[in-house]
Amino acid sequence: MTATVRAGGNGATPRPHGRGLDLVARRSLLSDVAEVGFRLAPGDRPLVAAGDAIVAGTTIAERLRDPRLVDVPASAADPDARSGDGWSSVGRPLARVRRGDEADSGELIYEHGGRWRVAVGDHLEPIDCPVAGVVRDIRPGIAIRVRAEGRALPGVEALGDPTSGRLSLGSDRGDIRYGRLRSTSLDVGLAGTILVIGSRVDAEALTRARAMGVRGVVVSGLAGKERRDFLASEARQRAALHRLPPFAVLILDGVIRRPIAGPIAAILEALAGTTVAISVDPPALVFDAPKVRVDRPPADHVRVRSGEHAGEEGRWAGLAGIRRFAGGTFLEAGWVVFGNDPPRPVPLADLERFV
Amino acid sequence: MTSDPRAFLAVDQGAATTSAALIGRLAHRWRVIGSLATPAPGDVDAIGTELVRRVHAADPDLADGLGLTTNGAPADIAALAADLPRLVARSAPVRTLLAVAVSDRALEPLATAARKTGWRTQGASLDGHDPFQLMASILDRDVNVLLVGAGDPPGADERRQLDELAAIVAGAVARRAELTVILAGAMADHLARIEPTGAARGGEILLGPPASAGDPPGEPLRRLLDDVRGGPDDPRRAAGRITAALADVLDRRIELIEIGFDGGLRATASPGVEGGEGISQVSIVADAALVPPDPDDATVDRVLAWATISLDRHRLRDRLRELRLWPWSGIAGDGARLRLAAARAALTVLMEATPDQSALPAPDLVVVAGGAFAVAPGPAVALALVDVVRRPAAIAIAQDHARLLGALGVIPDPNERRQALADLVDDVLVPLGSVVIPAGIRAGASAGRLTVHAGTGASDSDLVPGGLELVDLAPGEVATAEFTFRDSVRLGARGRRFAVDVAGGLGGLLVDLRDVPLRLPDRAERRRELLDAWQESLWVTRDR
Repeated sequence: MTATVRAGGNGATPRPHGRGLDLVARRSLLSDVAEVGFRLAPGDRPLVAAGDAIVAGTTIAERLRDPRLVDVPASAADPDARSGDGWSSVGRPLARVRRGDEADSGELIYEHGGRWRVAVGDHLEPIDCPVAGVVRDIRPGIAIRVRAEGRALPGVEALGDPTSGRLSLGSDRGDIRYGRLRSTSLDVGLAGTILVIGSRVDAEALTRARAMGVRGVVVSGLAGKERRDFLASEARQRAALHRLPPFAVLILDGVIRRPIAGPIAAILEALAGTTVAISVDPPALVFDAPKVRVDRPPADHVRVRSGEHAGEEGRWAGLAGIRRFAGGTFLEAGWVVFGNDPPRPVPLADLERFV
Repeated sequence: MTSDPRAFLAVDQGAATTSAALIGRLAHRWRVIGSLATPAPGDVDAIGTELVRRVHAADPDLADGLGLTTNGAPADIAALAADLPRLVARSAPVRTLLAVAVSDRALEPLATAARKTGWRTQGASLDGHDPFQLMASILDRDVNVLLVGAGDPPGADERRQLDELAAIVAGAVARRAELTVILAGAMADHLARIEPTGAARGGEILLGPPASAGDPPGEPLRRLLDDVRGGPDDPRRAAGRITAALADVLDRRIELIEIGFDGGLRATASPGVEGGEGISQVSIVADAALVPPDPDDATVDRVLAWATISLDRHRLRDRLRELRLWPWSGIAGDGARLRLAAARAALTVLMEATPDQSALPAPDLVVVAGGAFAVAPGPAVALALVDVVRRPAAIAIAQDHARLLGALGVIPDPNERRQALADLVDDVLVPLGSVVIPAGIRAGASAGRLTVHAGTGASDSDLVPGGLELVDLAPGEVATAEFTFRDSVRLGARGRRFAVDVAGGLGGLLVDLRDVPLRLPDRAERRRELLDAWQESLWVTRDR
């Protein structure tokens, strides 16, 4: 920044005031309702019905690992059958699939030329719901949606599969916001936990964490290279016959390195030791802990999301008008008080506040 | 606009930016009093309040004249701002269209029509997918609209599998009641099979023309797809209207180029004849977004080709992903230059997607708009444009700095729209300058001479091949530029001597003697130096 104007100096310097906070971008800290989605592909078999109350860990569907289509005569299905309905050969003497295909149950996909094409497969994988709640909607081949009990802390992206575990801040609590997970710091004592990493993690540490039985990781940012390597590792996992338990990475902020926001870190600290879940759709940390009290930050608390002061937090002190910043850009700015320092102008575009 | 209020707010609620401009009636015409933009979703009430407060702070008499007082006093500014009438343009959220056909040959024109109407387009055919994959693609929740097409009559390669395609689509439509389905060409014959009987549907099933019908081919289908995509107050849908109105008001050929968060837009318009409305052609290309949702290697390469900051591919991809997540982030410092590099890359995509519009006569005025150009200095924006859009012509460049064209475009009545624009045009468009791009300059010490006759006198300069010649010409000033080239060049027509009327702007007159099309060094370091040197002369406010 090239134009730092300090308030409280000579008479020509504008004095900060609290006006204009409404112009700062809002970021939702917690949402009271969490609806978690699970994608289904054609042929996947839902095991629950809409309206069912489920507990955390319930297997809500089975995924076909090796889906293929087989033909059955239209007469082997109900006359009013429609795409998405289940099909079984039990009690249907005419339900013979074409030679070379072996199947006794599946999902009707489409009817063509007097025959139904049915999605079948030999290997099934369970899809577990990591949260307790009520099944809201089941759409074969599309998705199951569950209204989860509890609250949700939203992130920007979640990779992997929905999972749950005990929230662990790791061994060094001081590192919760700025910490970095190194693969050498992982051991089997962390099995079953969802680890809060802080600001940085690499793909090797993620792979090792999974191998050690860690269920998930919460991190502020994940670089593109680590993301790509993790997704490749996930793809290999999916291809393996004996899969490890589901594992997810919840990314709170984005790509570049920055500490976890203070208000979010406070919630994570309060949740330490509690069982939480990572939802992939939407990306969020879901928890049902009514006794955990969440204090919202003061209304004038702002965080610098990006730019020169990325990650710093302070107190809003009013609009600063259009200011010149590094690179010769002229931007709307606001005064922010960091700690005990005099107010500094920060582009409005770089600021966020928690609501 | 025709009722009593002396001020109103023109609001543009875009995908990445919420902006509002305070428009006031002064001396019997509408004027832009002030504008403000914040990251979306911004608080329009807060923006309006701040705008009104600034008017009060700057000129209490003006506030009183605009009726922004209560009994002559600035009572409750928030209430005054909340009471202001609003003209609102809301960008329709970008949606995904899956084009489906029996063969890849039949798929291509469908996908092309969709790509030019703002849809994030995917394609699938029975050529490339097995029926199971095709069904899974249609059932993907990210797909909002399904376009199923066939020739009319269907081609020989389509007939055999058309019935099976209809069966697959019918199966998917039965599961997804919310899906909007367009049956184009001969697929319309399968309506009875595809339309579920007795079931309540949220999504529509529409019958459309074949992808190759109309003049130019595909135009009727494009119109239908545009209708399905945009809401009534979507500024991109209104781009054709406002560009045509601008062409009428200024009586010039206009090209509007916008690069935004969810896509790029290119609208060309000519003035109407004999009192009629101007004629416009609009292409909206989702792939020409500032940063696509998941930047791939091709995107990174495109941006890297224009980047003036030294970044490896991984870091550049990270910066682009961050820009996609938080479009306003890191806006100062080298972030501004990165945005302009990404804007050039998006412009390249937009130009490649619209060759038919490039083939039209060069416009007299190019208007740039969109968040991609929001923070860079005007002259640097003009350079970014001519780096990519290289037509041998003399054109004026202006910028819709307050994002007002979108809001004005949603005024439904054409006369009212034209009248509002006639009042506001000088405030809406910031003149960035004029650019002259002669093509066919040969290498050498000198390409010729330039003499600029302006109101303040004449200036004379040498024309150096491969370089940029800058002539100071303030906004509002007009001049005649006389070129005497050593060899014959193309500048509209072929010749050696030209006299061109040019208008001033923030960047003055820019004579671009570089290659057409622009050729850049292959070596990254050398390319960066060259791009940086060109920008250096126009990024007048950057740190030195």
